[in-house]
Amino acid sequence: MSEGPAEPAARPPAQSPEPTPAGTPAPPEPPPAPGAPAAAPAPVPPPHPGGPPFPVNPAYPGAPMPYPGPPAYPGGPPHAAPYPGGPYTAPHPGGPPHPGPYPGTPWPAAPYGGPPQPVGPGMYVRPGPPAWPDPVEPRKRLHPLSPALHGAKSLVVVIAGLSWSTLSRVGFGWFAAMVVALALGATVISIISWYNTGYHVVGRELRVYEGLLWRRTRAIPLERLQAVEVVRPLLAQLTGLAELRLEVVGGGKTEAPLAYLTVADAAALRGRLLALADRAGQPAAAPAAGATVPAAAGQPAAPVAVPPGRALHTVGNQDLLVSQLLTPQAFLLPLGLAFVVAQFLSEDSWSFIAVASTLTAMAGVVLQPVRRVLDDWNFRLARDDGTLRVRNGLLETRAQTVPLHRVQTVRATWPLLWRMKGWLRLRLEVAGYSVGEGDERNRPDRLLPVGDLPTAELIVAEVLPGVRLTGLPLTPPPPRARWLHPLGRNALGAGLHEQVVAVRSGLLTRQLTVVPYARIQSVRVVQGPLQRWLRLATVHADTAGGSGAAAESRDVDEAWVLAAELSARTHATRRSG
Amino acid sequence: MSAAESHQPPAAAGPPSVPGPFPSPSVPGPPPAGPLEPWPETVRWRPISRDLIWVELLRLAAVLAVVLLGVVIGWVLNGHWLFGLGLAVVLLLGAGRAVSIVRAVHAWGYAERADDLLVRHGLLVRRLSIVPYARMQFVDVSAGPLERAFDLATVQLHTAAAASDARVPGLRPAEASRLRDRLTALGEDRAEGL
Repeated sequence: MSEGPAEPAARPPAQSPEPTPAGTPAPPEPPPAPGAPAAAPAPVPPPHPGGPPFPVNPAYPGAPMPYPGPPAYPGGPPHAAPYPGGPYTAPHPGGPPHPGPYPGTPWPAAPYGGPPQPVGPGMYVRPGPPAWPDPVEPRKRLHPLSPALHGAKSLVVVIAGLSWSTLSRVGFGWFAAMVVALALGATVISIISWYNTGYHVVGRELRVYEGLLWRRTRAIPLERLQAVEVVRPLLAQLTGLAELRLEVVGGGKTEAPLAYLTVADAAALRGRLLALADRAGQPAAAPAAGATVPAAAGQPAAPVAVPPGRALHTVGNQDLLVSQLLTPQAFLLPLGLAFVVAQFLSEDSWSFIAVASTLTAMAGVVLQPVRRVLDDWNFRLARDDGTLRVRNGLLETRAQTVPLHRVQTVRATWPLLWRMKGWLRLRLEVAGYSVGEGDERNRPDRLLPVGDLPTAELIVAEVLPGVRLTGLPLTPPPPRARWLHPLGRNALGAGLHEQVVAVRSGLLTRQLTVVPYARIQSVRVVQGPLQRWLRLATVHADTAGGSGAAAESRDVDEAWVLAAELSARTHATRRSG
Repeated sequence: MSAAESHQPPAAAGPPSVPGPFPSPSVPGPPPAGPLEPWPETVRWRPISRDLIWVELLRLAAVLAVVLLGVVIGWVLNGHWLFGLGLAVVLLLGAGRAVSIVRAVHAWGYAERADDLLVRHGLLVRRLSIVPYARMQFVDVSAGPLERAFDLATVQLHTAAAASDARVPGLRPAEASRLRDRLTALGEDRAEGL
């Protein structure tokens, strides 16, 4: 029923080319046209333009190829009618795969970044080769020491996997033998995988090749790059190597950890990838520009040297230590130790294995503050035009680079025990991290591990210009929401700022989530049965990556206004810029 | 070009949506303002096909048949009266679910506005999703064997956020492909992504 008005509108353009080519080679009257032997299924050229429409395109009578021109719809059957909106020729991403050659993606034949981008060779002049061999640079291997590092890393995993009970069962000698054998096996495997792993940059993609039996080639489009991280674990620091991690939208986990490169290589590659990502992002921001990329878009030769940028903040290590002592885990530590000692005394049998197992089990919980201290040691935050640079870590140093326009959410957290010091923690969310990613440490989300309010305000003002952390207009939900949140109603709050939506929650651990309108992916209004009874509703602002912001238990009418306002402001920010 | 006819420009939702060439389904007048019908004077919800009821009922029947078969076999072999009770409970639950299916399908609706797609569904927990076209990453059109038998399809709009759910089941294939094409066209026009 919907195709009704669309078909007559779209048919004239299909017929309009008919008279010109068909009229020239073939005389209009005799049916067997001499000029069109190739168009076998349509032997009769149309006598007049208004004739019956032909199913086969008769516009190219003498051509040997069936569709030399713009392939109208090679995919055929599902698209019986063209777009109602007009002559729209791009393929639908959601539709069935089009076998036809799509002019926009000459992927296998000619890599992008060849002819249309003359900017390429001039921008990244590296000291080694005088200029990049333009379209395809040779595939590079990782550093030759990396299998040894991987092997050493697997040693830890092997020991953890064998566990204490195995040690007690087989004795130390056998245990050591097993460990050595497994670690050697792991090293051999990593040597093989190192030999088969390669990477290079092709146009605007980073391609990573992996695998001996199951070969895997990943092409990572750099316009989807969200953040880059250079990680240096302890062993890598000793050997002068580093690991490069890329975060890409839609990747369930960290894509393409290139482990390991030399530090200089990693820094250079990071700068190059970020510059490419910036450049690749330009046409997307201004769709009308098309293939013309302004040459002045990227700062020439700036990213190679990786300047430290303008320093924003440095977290004092003493503050960090104190802050991690003010955590529940640190308070639980004496209790846990007392438990172990009590167990040891009451059992009256000095069982090393039992004590060791208990300590290992406890370590998982208790060590989290220790790990945080190690991770956030020497935390330095810097701003380098348009990107945030974070460096931290004692044993394992990380250097994260997050483009500011990729920040989806900023979240401030006030843990209960930190309130006496007036401290808070700031985190940010970047697209490309699934919520369920197990290892929290690998997410480049630290903005401020610990700090006081003025510092946090300063940092937030850098990340989201014009937003004051304390000046956000927050209103609590109506009083009847206390039936759902008996204690925490006053802690809840939501409000709309000029550029961001802010949501506060949490009684003991207060949280303030700030989402810029431009980053909202969708708005949802959810109303549970109890909320319906109380005339309340929850408004969610979903972002890519992270959980977004949820304004809990607003009044229904206010929720509708909020939802409408959120979507309207999302459109407005998009239109303006 | 919005298929959702709008009587008045919404107060807060930007420019007025242009009435499109597609006649809206025969919904007589503005529906009564329910709790999950925001801005009721501006949005006209399009219902999904009632045939989805049959699809869902058949699915329910298949599950029920398996469970009932198990219970009946147990009853025959064992003869304990608890199996009879279980049978009654299963039948009762099935009946309740059937009723809720009918109501849920009636409650499901979608609307295309100038800038975003609205989808609402749910009875116990009511949900409304507002997904801007510009945020679209890709559109899924799927139709299982049972849906195909009833000439139905499901359109799902995916954004970069995992949490956003814009799924419209129970569409006629023509309507589904029209919606898909429109969503893709609008999404490409206004592509913003992240």
